[in-house]
Amino acid sequence: MIDDYTRLLEATAELGDKAASDRAVTKLIAHLKSMGRMKMLPEIVRELRKVAARRAALRPYVEVAHEKEEAAALRVAALAGIIARHAVVNNSLIHGWRARSAGKLVDHSAKRALLRIYQQVTSA
Amino acid sequence: MQSIIERIEKEIAAWAPEAGAEETGIVRATGDGIAEIDGLEKAVMSEMVLFDPTFDRTLAEALKDPSPIYGLVLNLEEDGVRAVILGDASKIYEGMLVRRLNRLLSIPVGDSLVGRVVNPLGEPVDGKGLTQAAVLRPIEREAYGVIDRAGVNVPLHTGIKAVDAMIPIGRGQRELIIGDRGTGKTSIAIDTIINQKSESPATRPICIYVAIGQKESKTAKLVAELTSRGAMEYSIVVTAPASAPAALQFLAPFAGAAIGEYFMEQGRDALVVYDDLSKQAVAYRQMSLLLRRPPGREAYPGDIFYLHSRLLERAAKLSSEKGGGSLTALPIIETQEGDVSAYIPTNVISITDGQIYLEANLFNKGQRPAINVGISVSRVGSAAQTKAMKKVAGKIKLELAQFRELEAFMQFSSDLDADTKKRIDAGRRMTEMLNQGRGVPLPFEMEAAVIFAATNGYFDTFPPEAVSAVEKKLQDFLSREAPEVLAAIKESKEIREGSEKTLREKLDSFVARNSTAA
Repeated sequence: MIDDYTRLLEATAELGDKAASDRAVTKLIAHLKSMGRMKMLPEIVRELRKVAARRAALRPYVEVAHEKEEAAALRVAALAGIIARHAVVNNSLIHGWRARSAGKLVDHSAKRALLRIYQQVTSA
Repeated sequence: MQSIIERIEKEIAAWAPEAGAEETGIVRATGDGIAEIDGLEKAVMSEMVLFDPTFDRTLAEALKDPSPIYGLVLNLEEDGVRAVILGDASKIYEGMLVRRLNRLLSIPVGDSLVGRVVNPLGEPVDGKGLTQAAVLRPIEREAYGVIDRAGVNVPLHTGIKAVDAMIPIGRGQRELIIGDRGTGKTSIAIDTIINQKSESPATRPICIYVAIGQKESKTAKLVAELTSRGAMEYSIVVTAPASAPAALQFLAPFAGAAIGEYFMEQGRDALVVYDDLSKQAVAYRQMSLLLRRPPGREAYPGDIFYLHSRLLERAAKLSSEKGGGSLTALPIIETQEGDVSAYIPTNVISITDGQIYLEANLFNKGQRPAINVGISVSRVGSAAQTKAMKKVAGKIKLELAQFRELEAFMQFSSDLDADTKKRIDAGRRMTEMLNQGRGVPLPFEMEAAVIFAATNGYFDTFPPEAVSAVEKKLQDFLSREAPEVLAAIKESKEIREGSEKTLREKLDSFVARNSTAA
């Protein structure tokens, strides 16, 4: 039941209608009260937090090795369907950029290329 | 120097790697060798995924331990997938990036695997360096259909008299070896592998021994034995020891089958021993329970029968259009207290083309191999039996069955008529003659000659308890005095009139000499 209620609230939130979400929450609480199942509420909140965390991990995220690469990175990432407003500087990429969103990854970093070369050389 | 540095810097600045979009996921939770992964929406069953430990580390950190950890997708769920971790599960952490590899679980196969010991992923574990196997082969595939197959008609000699005479195995057959712990199941399989040395290299099958959930010391001992007997020249050992993750133990037989199929598809013969499928079933049960699949009988998942049937169906004798190769399977099942009616034994008995049933009582009585002839059977092997063996071994099974009945009857009766006593003595002689120690498989022609001697009454002048010793003497005698007869039997695969006459003369002379000596 907890999963079902969580999924219901998740689907309502996806509509982007705050009033509708509020109504859904009010009705759910009233329903749980009437059924005497209020102790489910903390569980539902915990599940919703998990869903939110998972969604955050899958949101568009662009990293660049240097600030100067930001504009190009955002542009190319958008062409690949990953639309982000800003890029985060990550020096460990050495050069280039990488972008990910909802299970898609485009890795144009030198770090990845160097690792690939290393693995090819050491496993040859 | 400066110019070189500038040049390289310029190259780096201008460098734009070509990388398309990859599908990735993120580890949501991990434990007990299973990872729950968010994302990977397009992943398919049995697809390989890569847990990437380098993604959120610097290059220097990543290079300290860049070895990839693979996973196998086994559950497709609404909001992600569950995968079994094929490696060190302690290195997998929440939030770790997982890449799809867009290929089903595959292993490298090729001739360079021969003589090697590998794990179920095809990685060498014998310390002899990398293999040169370049062909990637999915470890799960559909078995050949009816059209692609031919009848089993070529024998696979085990070198064990009792098996070759009464429960013959053909190339492409699936013959189960079943029995309690410590009754000699592995010995039969190993002797069969060793015996292939007596085959000519052109027809010698490539032997693949798959050790599932075994002690590593046992596997090491076995490899040493195969090496010392020269059998590793045509053998491959796939090992998933007891210390390996359940996923690898589950995969090991499929890896063995994939390697065997490679040779079969080249028109060659291959023999694969799965030692043992009971442990594989236990590993699969563990994985399935961790994957939260509903448990069924004895807590095994509902598809445990399909697990074994799809594995064993891959054994085949291909039609000549497909190259005529074959893959023979010798699965091993361990029973508890001789209970063949347990879940896994009955499943595998019904899948295979026969079974060699080893009994602890017979083993304790000193019979080697401890085969219970009554319930051991080969459903297709007799079609592959050579004319020579058919001729000499035709009645053995019936005579032995009659002997067992009389033997039971004998316990209640002290007075036996002469005919019954004669039959009992004949049965004892036959049992003694079929006794064969571990690690001494006999070439086919020698088996045929010895059984010929036994079934034609040449041992009748000796007391039953002396037959084993007499038989050994006979083997020496025939190798020394009648090599041409043995060669003729080996070549023609039958005992022709001329050979029979000479063989009888030699056997008469042997009996005369040894009876006098006795």
